[in-house]
Amino acid sequence: MPDGVIIGGWNYVIAAYSITAAGLLAYAWSLALRRRKFRTQEEG
Amino acid sequence: MTRQFKWDSGIGLLGLLLLFVGSYIGLFVAPSERYMGEVQRIMYVHVPCAWNAMLVYMLAFIFAIISLWTHRPKWDAATTAAAEVGIVLNSLLLVQGSIWARATWGVWWDWDVRLTTSLIMLLLFAGVLALRSFVHDASRRATWTAIATIVAFVDVPLVYFCVRWWRSLHQVQSTPDTVAPMMVVPLRINAFAILFIAIWMMTQRARLELDRRRQDQVSEPERLAPIGGSNNA
Repeated sequence: MPDGVIIGGWNYVIAAYSITAAGLLAYAWSLALRRRKFRTQEEG
Repeated sequence: MTRQFKWDSGIGLLGLLLLFVGSYIGLFVAPSERYMGEVQRIMYVHVPCAWNAMLVYMLAFIFAIISLWTHRPKWDAATTAAAEVGIVLNSLLLVQGSIWARATWGVWWDWDVRLTTSLIMLLLFAGVLALRSFVHDASRRATWTAIATIVAFVDVPLVYFCVRWWRSLHQVQSTPDTVAPMMVVPLRINAFAILFIAIWMMTQRARLELDRRRQDQVSEPERLAPIGGSNNA
């Protein structure tokens, strides 16, 4: 195995993908919540 | 209305589906890179987020110019939506890049020109939204948002070209000629996936902004009405 080769590293990959999914979901959720809040305000 | 709902929901769902497919290929089918090993698989989410963040900021810039030109609320809503979605993608790319940097450079952060300009890009567009929240008059808010967006956009080409113009730890842009075909496939699929998801998010956010503006316009005369009714007597 030559020098400078990274062995393993799946934990970093999992962390990056999990944060991406969490970030996108959190923003989508915030949009839904804001929309719901707006509708409630409008009705009330 | 129902037709409109189906249109953006379809784009969003297609984006989600593509993200699953692209990520599956990127994680389990594409080969590992010779030197970076498995860590290189971060590229399949990091690069699409970076491309789309810059694309969405460019849309914000175009919408801002149209908003200044036409003074129509829908373009102000589109500018705000694009700036906000750009911030989400920009934040994700910084976090993904930081994780990748820890694995390959041994540090979470370095004041390298690419990283620094990307952070400035995030702060500038966050500043646009902060500025927006301080202005209550809708027309003035739209003008300030458009001007601030145009100013903030100055950093975007700098982020893209800085790795060519200055010495940087960050690698220069790859091309399909320098990347294995099986690495290009998930990269492209995820790029379209993030693009479709971003379009869905921008549509939802713009619609919310327009609804809020409509509500403000309805409640404005009530706020301005004198206490106890008419004062013409």
